[in-house]
Amino acid sequence: MMVCKVLSFAALMVSAAGAAEITRQQLANAQTDNASWLTYGRNFSGWRHSDLRQINASNVAQLVPQWMFQTGVQGKFETTPLVFDQMMYVTGPTNHAWALDLRTGRQIWHYYQPLPKGVSICCGQVNRGFAVLGEKLFKVNLDAKLLALDVKTGNVLWETEIDSIKKGYSATVAPLVAKNLVLVGVAGAEYGVRGFIDAYHADTGRRAWRFWTVPGPGEPGNETWGGDSWKYGGGSTWITGAYDPELNLTYWGTGNPGPDWNGDVRPGDNLYTDAAVALDVDTGKLKWHFQFTPHDTHDWDAISDLVLVDVVRNGQKIKGVVQANRNGFFYLLDRTNGKFLLARQYTKVTWADGIDPKGRPILIAGQDPSEEGTKSCPSVGGGHNWQATTYSPQTGWYYFTTTEGCQIYYKTFQEFREGQLYTGSTGSPILMEPATGAVLAVDPATGDTKWKFETVTPPTSGLLSTAGGLVFAGDREGYFLALDARTGKVLWKFQTGGMVIAPPITYQFNGRQYVAVAAGAAMMTFALPGKP
Amino acid sequence: MRRIWTLGLAAAGLCAAQTELKNPLANVAGAAEEGRIRFRGACSLCHGIRGQGGRGPDLTLGSYSAGSADADIYNVIFNGSPGTEMPEFGARLEPEEIWRLVTYLRSIAGREAARVAGNPGLGRKLFWEKGQCGQCHRVQGTGGRMGPDLTRVGRQRSLAYLRESVLNPSADLTIGYPTITVVTRDGKKIAGVQRAFDTFSVQLMDSAENYYSFFVNDVASVKREFRSLMPDNYRALYPEAELSDLLAYLAGLRGTEEKK
Repeated sequence: MMVCKVLSFAALMVSAAGAAEITRQQLANAQTDNASWLTYGRNFSGWRHSDLRQINASNVAQLVPQWMFQTGVQGKFETTPLVFDQMMYVTGPTNHAWALDLRTGRQIWHYYQPLPKGVSICCGQVNRGFAVLGEKLFKVNLDAKLLALDVKTGNVLWETEIDSIKKGYSATVAPLVAKNLVLVGVAGAEYGVRGFIDAYHADTGRRAWRFWTVPGPGEPGNETWGGDSWKYGGGSTWITGAYDPELNLTYWGTGNPGPDWNGDVRPGDNLYTDAAVALDVDTGKLKWHFQFTPHDTHDWDAISDLVLVDVVRNGQKIKGVVQANRNGFFYLLDRTNGKFLLARQYTKVTWADGIDPKGRPILIAGQDPSEEGTKSCPSVGGGHNWQATTYSPQTGWYYFTTTEGCQIYYKTFQEFREGQLYTGSTGSPILMEPATGAVLAVDPATGDTKWKFETVTPPTSGLLSTAGGLVFAGDREGYFLALDARTGKVLWKFQTGGMVIAPPITYQFNGRQYVAVAAGAAMMTFALPGKP
Repeated sequence: MRRIWTLGLAAAGLCAAQTELKNPLANVAGAAEEGRIRFRGACSLCHGIRGQGGRGPDLTLGSYSAGSADADIYNVIFNGSPGTEMPEFGARLEPEEIWRLVTYLRSIAGREAARVAGNPGLGRKLFWEKGQCGQCHRVQGTGGRMGPDLTRVGRQRSLAYLRESVLNPSADLTIGYPTITVVTRDGKKIAGVQRAFDTFSVQLMDSAENYYSFFVNDVASVKREFRSLMPDNYRALYPEAELSDLLAYLAGLRGTEEKK
């Protein structure tokens, strides 16, 4: 018996030696690496789908908690954890991060950088996760910094300022590693920033390129901004993009134009806000763009996941990219050239009477914000916001959460002042008509809804699908759920005691499949009953 | 400047009663305008888009229940007002943002208060006896618990809002007070006020203050409505003069000792 123990200990030591280095090849093959979760969207296409099936529709009802890590940090947890080599890497609010032992949930290291004063943050001191390459973990800090941490210690290897917090920039996005570059976006479109997407060399932190989401004078698209309005044009980039290595393109959604609710001061379409942009990974040059909401006056960022899905339409295979846009419509585009293929309304919409054949919304009059307030739908957060989505190659369906509700939109005139809130007024919920929500399954080739699981409040979490025929979701009231991927039926639920905002992930460790999710201020894992 | 504000922040957090805080933006051009923009986003939901009040107190009167110094207003925004729905904004707003709000509130103050014409003593009798309001509402520890506690309602609500709440109780519900109706599988109907509600379960309290908890799947139906369980016949019950007395009583409920 003693011999056995010594042997297994030795075996563990061997498996751990020299580990914790993630190669470009491993990132490229992330979808087939069941022991790991290596990038924000699980694979470069952003599917958030796992081929694991140990936990499946027939046994998920037995799922039980395995360990829980209480962070002790207040705030919203929006992190997608990374998992590899016996460790889970978790980012938290307010510049916290941890490495946790995968077996026990015990803390191995903790990173924390106190937030300097003067950071403008509209919507919570959040962070959405790490990226990894080699022995470096990459994360942004709220004060618009990009850092590389030593995977073994959490020590800072390099740190670079993305841009100045004095101008209203902040950062919440999980970086994307493509080739040897670390791609990041910024937040701050409520503060009159000019948005961009940056790429940094992974080894040094030196900037390789920058793509401005609001073109400057002399650049194509600048003519879509009246006067100097482009200077404060917004177009932030706060959700991780996707990457197609074959096409050498990275796809990012862009945020609202600034100021959010007063379009009078920025006449024109306001390119490239509320758009999908496809950039050459090596140079950051724009290959194509598609603007979902020209001249937006409702704060409908187009930052929702852009998920790369190949579909068959009219007998023809198409390299597609899908998005459940905040404006209430689901879109399918050709990701090789940005061509608009279809849009389908998926929630209550009062501002547009559909989308025309070129992909442009058919506007309904009287829906713009006003001084006295205008009721319009969807609400400010949109029909679907940033919450992570999932595509299951097993069902062929795309899954996302929805908000069913309306809001009062106010408009006012406002002088721009650097670093100050620049929204042109506000949106206000209608207290007597609280929004409800749903988890939707949609056929990406047609936009047809396959099923709808309705919830009393909009689901707050991201989604995960598995080859076990499951979709995992969480809600505002603290429930973590497993739904049948084919029917939407609830097969399992657990009351976590805290709002589930983060997307769940899954991985295999020591022969068992685990599902992990942050809820409240804790990280927790679940598995079928058995010996850990 | 930043250091001064940080010290002020600590003082506000530790000792809300101190009034040494000075508004550094009191005479700064543009501060009131920036405060107005912030107000619309952070405050208008309860206090009205122009501070005219509603669910929250009217802020255009120039008198505030927490004190009238700039520091008092700062402290209320920073710390919230315990026992009311006014949340603390200290963790969400920078000190300078709070000062901008204070500056804005100063700029809109001065509108004459709507006069409370009635007799509060008569109003008290009407509340407890004719209207039987104490069956569901509590004042200073006396009365029922199904409806909102009214001990401080005169500080929390504008006069116009109080009037509408009496005459048309379902026009705007206090947060957390929707009506829940559950029908059990054996046909029993239970109506009460919501205590908690989610996709899978519901908790409620009926007029006899019985507490119930159900899983949605275990009952025949669950209905949530944004209407009040309060009777809507008070316009018929109270002639205008009596209504005026009742409102005077309600407007005088400010959390201080109240004798029945």
